[in-house]
Amino acid sequence: MGKIRKLDDYLSNKIAAGEVVERPASVVKELVENALDANSTVIEIELEEAGLASIRIVDNGEGMEEDDCLIAFERHATSKIKDEHDLFRIRTLGFRGEALPSIASVSEVEVKTSTGNGAGTLICLKGGELVKHERTNSRKGTEITVSNLFFNTPARLKYMKTVHTELGHITDVVNRLALAHPHVSFRLRHHGKQLLYTSGNGDVRHVLASIYGMDVAKKMIPIHAESIDFIVNGYISLPEVTRASRNYMSTIVNGRYVRNIPLAKAIESGYHTLLPIGRYPIVLLSIEMDPILVDVNVHPAKLEVRFSKEAELNELVENAIRQAFQAKTLIPEITASHPASPKTEQRAFSFTHSIKEPAPLSLFEQKGNNEQNVPLPAVKKDEQTNDDIELYEAPVEFAVVEENRQKEERVEKEIEPPKPHVEQENVHERIPPLYPIGQMHGTYILAQNENGLYIIDQHAAQERIKYEYFREKVGEVASEVQQLLVPLTFQYASNEYVLIEAHRSELAECGVFLESFGHNTFIVREHPSWFPKGKEVEIIEEMIQQVLDMKKVDLKQLREQAAIIMSCKQSIKANQHLRHDEMFALLESLRKAADPFTCPHGRPIIIHFSTYELEKMFKRVM
Amino acid sequence: MRLTIQRDHLVRSVQDVMKAVSSRTTIPILSGIKIVANDQGVTLTGSDSDISIESFIPVEEDEKIIAEVSQPGSIVLQARFFAEIVKKLPQDTVEIEVGNQFVTVIRSGKAEFSLNGLDAEEYPRLPQIKEEHVFKLPTDLLKTLIRQTVFAVSTSETRPILTGVNWKLENGELICIATDSHRLALRKAKVETDHHLSYNVVIPGKSLNELSKILDDSNESVEIVITENQVLFKTKHLLFFSRLLDGNYPDTSRLIPADSQTDVIVNSKEFFQAIDRASLLAREGRNNVVKLTTLQDGIIEISSISPEIGKVTEEIQSESITGEELKISFSAKYMMDALKALEGTEIKISFTGAMRPFILRPLHSDSMLQLILPVRTY
Repeated sequence: MGKIRKLDDYLSNKIAAGEVVERPASVVKELVENALDANSTVIEIELEEAGLASIRIVDNGEGMEEDDCLIAFERHATSKIKDEHDLFRIRTLGFRGEALPSIASVSEVEVKTSTGNGAGTLICLKGGELVKHERTNSRKGTEITVSNLFFNTPARLKYMKTVHTELGHITDVVNRLALAHPHVSFRLRHHGKQLLYTSGNGDVRHVLASIYGMDVAKKMIPIHAESIDFIVNGYISLPEVTRASRNYMSTIVNGRYVRNIPLAKAIESGYHTLLPIGRYPIVLLSIEMDPILVDVNVHPAKLEVRFSKEAELNELVENAIRQAFQAKTLIPEITASHPASPKTEQRAFSFTHSIKEPAPLSLFEQKGNNEQNVPLPAVKKDEQTNDDIELYEAPVEFAVVEENRQKEERVEKEIEPPKPHVEQENVHERIPPLYPIGQMHGTYILAQNENGLYIIDQHAAQERIKYEYFREKVGEVASEVQQLLVPLTFQYASNEYVLIEAHRSELAECGVFLESFGHNTFIVREHPSWFPKGKEVEIIEEMIQQVLDMKKVDLKQLREQAAIIMSCKQSIKANQHLRHDEMFALLESLRKAADPFTCPHGRPIIIHFSTYELEKMFKRVM
Repeated sequence: MRLTIQRDHLVRSVQDVMKAVSSRTTIPILSGIKIVANDQGVTLTGSDSDISIESFIPVEEDEKIIAEVSQPGSIVLQARFFAEIVKKLPQDTVEIEVGNQFVTVIRSGKAEFSLNGLDAEEYPRLPQIKEEHVFKLPTDLLKTLIRQTVFAVSTSETRPILTGVNWKLENGELICIATDSHRLALRKAKVETDHHLSYNVVIPGKSLNELSKILDDSNESVEIVITENQVLFKTKHLLFFSRLLDGNYPDTSRLIPADSQTDVIVNSKEFFQAIDRASLLAREGRNNVVKLTTLQDGIIEISSISPEIGKVTEEIQSESITGEELKISFSAKYMMDALKALEGTEIKISFTGAMRPFILRPLHSDSMLQLILPVRTY
């Protein structure tokens, strides 16, 4: 008896502080979120010793009345929700009413606040005890100074990392907040040195530029997707811009930066095969949804969230990214320092897909004969179809091809193209016609067109073509099964067992017949004959895992590795001579590939030097 | 097209043209074999980026019927499958018939294959070469010429011209030179020619390798026709086309030192075996280097040290050593390649200092030469 007693407030705040106030960055996060919830438009953050000595946050938000200010430091005191109903419709960043008392219990806090009407309030707390309370001037907004953080929790203080690490965490937090709130101007200073400045003009691109730099921001493209439940907006980096960690993928849900592993996976699969292994994109995704669909009350720091319609959201994100790239030309350009693009450009005639150009290859030339060279019959056919179209459309042999799609902002409405568009049949082709010049080191094809010089990795190019072919091919598997003398057994946990039971038919369609075999165990008596030898168990386990994760079996994905290997093996290698017609054939089929810019391993296939860049390099233009 | 043909003749021809068919190609039809049948016989063609081979099977040879063409025509069949199929057919005769949509039926005994073929009209044409200037070489000499030079070509496309063998024909003498810039192989031969022909071309090493594989060892002569960008080797039933490499072959005559400071004469076989033994350890190191030191009384010492594994030294008695004393290091592989290529039991090695290229020659012949650059050790 009498062993169990209720802890006093001071102690319970200190315990809560352990969760909420992990490090200086958490203080910054909580206080800035408060400032944002108070509708501030300018937030200044000043740090000393990476926040361990002092953190000062000044906002121009609504401010607090005197009695509000006092009660704010009580446990579970908040203005942000009123009843249970609100808890499931949270539109503010905070709501738990834990942050201020927790921070106050482990530091010295000074708050100056005013609503702009009448005198302001100044209170000071030390270790959670009120030590000073007086009136002050009435600048609208709140100024909070937190100093001597962790002065009374020596254990926590001891485990603080170096100033640089803590500062890194803080900038990270502020960066994400700034990305989530482009309408608010953030100023972050450390020992008076400016670390971040955003203008708060509402353009995320500017925020991206001030965080990741101009060059990166320029190489990010906007995406937008909508479904009944979600609106996804954001910027994603071109595959040529990559980072070695997932840290650069920021997902923001209803203005809150969150970490959600399935969502990150969805982003990565949107980039599928476009990125080299171990490289990650820079992504900013802002997702709007009904607050009822998201549960943020998972952890006091509110970093982790749960989505109600996770699968739908992930699919939406994945498709949005994929589509964004399908519409783009992803040839990395070599840029000299300042590619100030020419303002006006005369449109040019371009020979339609000129088939005559590839001179009938040296090998098949007739030598010393006055007969005409016989062009390849295969090529001849193409020519004919082209001729037909030309006859049909216009008597001219040219078609107008849009010069330089990338530089589209030009004002050129007046120069209407002289109508016929033979090009239309090629709309799905994503790279312009290329004419081989020659081969370098038996490895790279140099090609040209009116836009400049292209360098193509011949192995990677053919790998991509073959990969797309085999990827379709491997999905179609014959329905032959191999019987087993000794059946395979698979054991699963009860919760998984129930799920697998429910999806047995899907697995059966793929030729894997599971039979219940006692407690939580399945046996398999036969397996499809395409399973590679020795990998049967592995593949079946993988299939079951797919069922558990995605509720369906995706054979294509399972066999994708096989497709990549097949395509690599069947492709021409580096260090191999190619004839002119072979190069031409390769470039033509590359143009028809669905994704002609990276090989299945994510390495680039084509590099482009624009004519202008070349001229710049040779100082023909200055 | 419809024909019946002796299987062994077909198999041999298919194997010959297969040398020119690559499974990796950017033009799909080139992974097939073209078959053309007319009343003279059956012609098979294979082609890739370097070479094209045409093999002809006559209807009749030596009074024996080889093929019967009941309906002339042409088809392109997937080389991989066609070659395997004809090899494994059960009977001595094969019947090939092309039906609708280029579906080709191959029948032998009770076995019947249907292969989806391609239109032969889409197959690229072989070059037409005017046979005005022809020179001839006996097959065995041609094969020796190739064997003695082609191993020295560069395997890297970084300097494409060095991946070929330089053939120079002047005053009825053919000089073949190959180098990968670390060693050089040279071979001269007299050729039969009725004109005052002179050529200077570079033939890809890969092509020569394939050519040497499909030529039989006989002393029938091979006709050789060289044009601006093609070379054609012609035997009785075989046409072998190869592209020529563009560009000028570097002038190698200045690279070959005329005089020497140290001359060593050794027994080729003994010397080869000693190098081979030394290279057992040298191989483990990165560059396979062995060291040669001249000692007193015509003894040479071959040694190699591989710090992690150990070392080897061997003394061999040479026939003679004349000139200055010498210590020199070189690649064991290059040396063995060169010794393998040279004929004759006695080899003369002429050194001009430890840092200068050295030459290997058979003692009594001037027609062949191997040059190796030493390895600098420091």
